[in-house]
Amino acid sequence: MVFDSIPYGLPSYVFGPNWFYGFDSIIEFIAIIVSILLVFYSHRCFKLTKEKKYLYFSTAFLSLTFAFIVKIMGTLAIYKPSITRTALGSSVHQAFTSLTPYNINAIALVMHYFFMLLGFMILFLIISRLTWKNQRVIALLVYFVFLAAWISIIHYQLFYLTSFVLLSLITYSYYQNYKEIKSEKARFVTIAFGILLVSQALFVFVIYSRIIYVLAELIQLLGFVYLLIPFILIFKKKPKKPKPVK
Amino acid sequence: MIEKRRGKLEIIADILRSMQKKEGKIKPTHLLYRSNLSHAKLKEYVNMLLEKGMIEEKTIKGRKMYFMKDQGYKFLLEFERIKEFSDSFGL
Repeated sequence: MVFDSIPYGLPSYVFGPNWFYGFDSIIEFIAIIVSILLVFYSHRCFKLTKEKKYLYFSTAFLSLTFAFIVKIMGTLAIYKPSITRTALGSSVHQAFTSLTPYNINAIALVMHYFFMLLGFMILFLIISRLTWKNQRVIALLVYFVFLAAWISIIHYQLFYLTSFVLLSLITYSYYQNYKEIKSEKARFVTIAFGILLVSQALFVFVIYSRIIYVLAELIQLLGFVYLLIPFILIFKKKPKKPKPVK
Repeated sequence: MIEKRRGKLEIIADILRSMQKKEGKIKPTHLLYRSNLSHAKLKEYVNMLLEKGMIEEKTIKGRKMYFMKDQGYKFLLEFERIKEFSDSFGL
C-alpha cells in the first residue's frame, strides 16, 4: 500500500502489487465500456418510451462510469509519473503546483467513492420501486452516500462495506426478479451482481494482502462481463418475420 | 388481480403482434377482436400506424385487409428488445 497525505491530513491508497499496476486500469476500462453501453441503451429507451425509469437507470450507470474514469485518472498519476511531463500534464501541474501524484490519487479516490456509491444507490432506488414521491427517503439516502464517501477517506473499508451492503440488497432484488420472470437474461444479471458483491467483499480486506486486490479486481471484471452477456443476448434477437409486404 | 392499463406503445405492439401471428395480414374484424379495443380507439390507432408506414391497407377480393410493413416489424423488434431489457434489469 502506498501511503501519503493530502492537505487535510487524509491518506491516499494504491493497493495493488507493482506488477499489477495498469492491469487494474484495463479492468476498469472494460467496466467503463460495459457501463457506457448500458447508459446509451437505457437513454435510448427513455427517448423512445419517455419512461423515467430508463433515465434513472442510465444515470446510475453514468455515475459508475464517472467513478471508474476518476479511479483510472487518479491511479495513472502514480502508475505513470511521466504523464506529468506531457503537454497536458505539465499545464495541469503549473495550474495546481501543490498537487503531487498522491494528492491527485487521494482526490480521485474520494470522487471514485462518491460516484460508485451514488450509482449503486440509484440502482437500489430503481429496483426497490421507490418513486420521486418518496423524496424524504431519497434525500436521506443521498445524505448517507455523502457521509459514507467522506468517512471512507479515513477508513477505506467503510466504502467497500457500504457498497457491499448496497450490492447485497441489489442482488437480492435481482434474484427476486429472476424468480418472478425466470428468464435466462435475468439470471445473468443476478449472477453479475452476485459476482460484483463477492468482489466488494474481497476489497474490504485488500489492506492485508496485495494479492486480494488482484483477486477482487479479476472477480470484478468477471462481474462486468456477466453484465454484458444479457445485453448481447437481447441484441442477438432477430425479427420473426422480416419479409416486406409485396 | 387488477391488470395494469396498457400504455400507447403497448397497444401498438399488441396490434402489430396480432398481425404478426396471422403472418403479417389480418382482417379488420379479427384485429378488433384481438386488440381488445373499442372500434373508435382501434380506428385511431390503425390510422396512426398507416400514417407512420408500419401497416398498409389493401383490398383483396373485395375485402379490406391490413398488411404489416417492414417498419412495423422493426418497431415490434425494438419494442420487444426494450421489454426484455426492462425485464432483465428489473426496471
